[in-house]
Amino acid sequence: MPQRSVVEATNPLREGLRIKQSPEPCVMVIFGATGDLTHRKLLPALYNLALEHPLPAGFSVVGFARRPYTDETFRQQALDSINEYSRQKPVNPQVWETFASGIHYLQSDFHNLAGYEKLNTLLNKLDQERGTNGNRIFYLSTPPSQYAEIIQQIGAAGLNRNRKGWTRIIIEKPFGHDLASARELNRQVGKVFKEDQIYRIDHYLGKETVQNILVFRLANGIFEPVWNRRYVDHVQITVAENLGLEGRGGYYEESGAIRDMVQNHMLQLLTLVAMEPPIAFDPNAVRDEKVKVLHALQPLVGRDVMNNSIRAQYGPGFVGGHPVPAYLEEQGVSLNSTTETYVALKFFVDNWRWAGVPFYLRTGKHLPKRVTEIAIQFKTAPLMLFKRSETHGQVEPNVLTLRIQPDEGISLKFGAKVPGTDMQIRSVNMDFFYGSSFVRAQPEAYERLILDCMLGDSTLFTRRDEVEAAWMFIQGILDEWANEDRSTIHTYESGTWGPQAADEFIWRDGHRWRRP
Amino acid sequence: MTQDITNRAKPNIPWAGKTVHMERVEEELFRLWHMSADNMRISQNLHVRTSVLNFVICAHDIPSAQKASAILRNLSSTHIARVTLLILDTSTNAPTDVTTWVTLRSFSIISDIMRHAFEQITVLVSGQAVHSAANIIQPLLKPDLPIYLWWLSDPVSENDLFRRIASVSNRVIVDSNDFSAPGQSIGTLSSFAENFPDCAVSDLNWGHITPWRQLVAQFFDTTEFQPYLAGIHTIEVEYAVAPLSESGGVALNPTRAWLIAAWLKTRLSLLPKSSSEQDADKVNIFIRPRTQSDIQPGSLCLIRLTSSLDNHQAIFTIDRGDDAEHVLTQVELPLANRPQRAVSMATTHAVNELLHEELEILGHDHSYEDTLHEMYALFAR
Repeated sequence: MPQRSVVEATNPLREGLRIKQSPEPCVMVIFGATGDLTHRKLLPALYNLALEHPLPAGFSVVGFARRPYTDETFRQQALDSINEYSRQKPVNPQVWETFASGIHYLQSDFHNLAGYEKLNTLLNKLDQERGTNGNRIFYLSTPPSQYAEIIQQIGAAGLNRNRKGWTRIIIEKPFGHDLASARELNRQVGKVFKEDQIYRIDHYLGKETVQNILVFRLANGIFEPVWNRRYVDHVQITVAENLGLEGRGGYYEESGAIRDMVQNHMLQLLTLVAMEPPIAFDPNAVRDEKVKVLHALQPLVGRDVMNNSIRAQYGPGFVGGHPVPAYLEEQGVSLNSTTETYVALKFFVDNWRWAGVPFYLRTGKHLPKRVTEIAIQFKTAPLMLFKRSETHGQVEPNVLTLRIQPDEGISLKFGAKVPGTDMQIRSVNMDFFYGSSFVRAQPEAYERLILDCMLGDSTLFTRRDEVEAAWMFIQGILDEWANEDRSTIHTYESGTWGPQAADEFIWRDGHRWRRP
Repeated sequence: MTQDITNRAKPNIPWAGKTVHMERVEEELFRLWHMSADNMRISQNLHVRTSVLNFVICAHDIPSAQKASAILRNLSSTHIARVTLLILDTSTNAPTDVTTWVTLRSFSIISDIMRHAFEQITVLVSGQAVHSAANIIQPLLKPDLPIYLWWLSDPVSENDLFRRIASVSNRVIVDSNDFSAPGQSIGTLSSFAENFPDCAVSDLNWGHITPWRQLVAQFFDTTEFQPYLAGIHTIEVEYAVAPLSESGGVALNPTRAWLIAAWLKTRLSLLPKSSSEQDADKVNIFIRPRTQSDIQPGSLCLIRLTSSLDNHQAIFTIDRGDDAEHVLTQVELPLANRPQRAVSMATTHAVNELLHEELEILGHDHSYEDTLHEMYALFAR
């Protein structure tokens, strides 16, 4: 059966209903079923989908991992995880009973072909018993080092080929460690699956407020005319975390802020802000435009990298009122580590819309608070009619801020007259809080993305060329950083907004970082 | 300036706020907002004031109005900008009078830190003023915002009052489950929907059965079962009635069951016909009461669709069983049955939730309006 793209509802009973399509019965095989991601995110997301109806009756889960569990022990662990992490508590016993009847566990090493053959037998049995009709999703929820092995074994066992239904694979980030490894992984997965079967997941794209960027830009007529170099002075994208490593020192040492945040989440946000309107709201039309933005990024190479980037590590300090150690004192971190916990970048998007408009990105750990926002700063009025004494220097440029988290919403800063007989002007913020107009509980990002995959809608997933284009831009920075010695890594006090060098970096252009 | 038309004592409605002359409503609201802003500065709470819609609630007595006003407290929607609570005192001996109260209402949204505030104007009209109620509320509406009218009783009133007030609204919301004369009221609504296309019509009862419609539709999202849709020849719907000893002779209102049946009939009639398939007009519809004491009378208990395709019969069932909070869905096929599924229906009962859903929609729900006309036709047979 051909792989579907977005399915058009052909069911006349769907007319007027909010849910336009529910997925076909299918089996989701979770590789790495005993891991943290499965228990914190995937199983609660699947349960919530079952609770809120979209999952069809025959939907089944097969956990595939090395630990010697039975169906029963895996079900019990799943129940414990859902009780702890689901946004809908307590677990509904009747719904759980139905959901649990479709949960199975298969113990196997990832390199053992016999395990995949057993999996094939189990899937065929579920097709018969639960009406899943050959529809399968393979979810790689393992460390990335296992991806290639699992994909190869899936292919060797013939699980990628399916005459009855559809087969899809979801691959978690990080997708590669650098450009070469991303290309290699793409090549390996491409040998077993066609591109339209591959769903590379970046959970940021499943967030309601990230999707709202597209709605904000493309469903409102008043913003698009000013969304360009003629009116925009510069753009700042901030992803700040107040947390530190949280016991993931080993992982983070290999990753760092640029791989952990910039290559995926932040460049995704950038593409949504900077892309041209797609010709249609379908997966490839949207992703075509996002890829164009990534290809239009002015490469940072050689000395450009050091002039347009700041990398830093956090030192000791206070976060949330508690003392925290320096990065180099964290468990699992080398004393000579060159891994950055903070990065600030400046670059340009070389196309007609954005030529000459600087984009500033910054992300870091142990910053004062957790916040993600995109700020579009507009150029000032061409002629200031009001005297400096009247404005007290307080008329700031108009800034449109898209807050992704927390307090999701949109703010517009503009100048207003202070009431009184004299002419005093102050900047004020006009705020829209998402929660003030819509209090409907927002689904978790994983719920939305898993459901989209079941429906064959890959709009919010990352395409092969998108991944490679993002890595191509990042690789130049990584290469240059690798050539530099440790003295180029700045230090910032934990609980501050980053190193002094980052402030000086943006002051050079006559700008300053926003204080989110 | 409007004068009190009579000298009679004003009714005491403490929950409606402060009595003001109608001309001073805006002035008084401005003063209340100003005081609210001062309080906000003191308490550090964040008051969120939105401007999304005008919500007009039309009641025929003070207790009904108070009940509706109380429901707003539990309305999780924060869309409202202004509520105009119109009380029509249609008693024959009531003197002609218009009395107005204003208040601000504020409820916490996520925590007590963020609170949603909206303004509420209560207008009691009596005597001859009732006939002009549609005009009386006009200056009280916030400009450039859609008007949602929640009509609390049967949409049948003397002097065409429902039509006159509804026709200045963008959306009218009723609850057919509360109709005392369902047949006549459905007829009025159907006729209104046909004659006033600028006003959308909706029904909380329709919202109540939406989860059931979702489940019916979900059967036929599956490729395997889609062909059976065209072969449906029997629709069975059961609704709850209290045992005779409990009902005390209260008339039954089976509108939920009728809505489901009429909806299925309209949707099936849209299917392309072939000679071997059923014509929607030839579908057998059975609507039956089921004695069940533990759920609200009128609630749906069962939907069963029987389909034949190439001499193979498939049965699609949604059955409430004994559990008010869940239903069981099942597909019985010629050679194999599919797993039964328990589905929670727990979040679909409260009026405030249904209202919340309705306030999110502005345009016509053509599926509902088609069903309304079909239901009227079924009633008329």
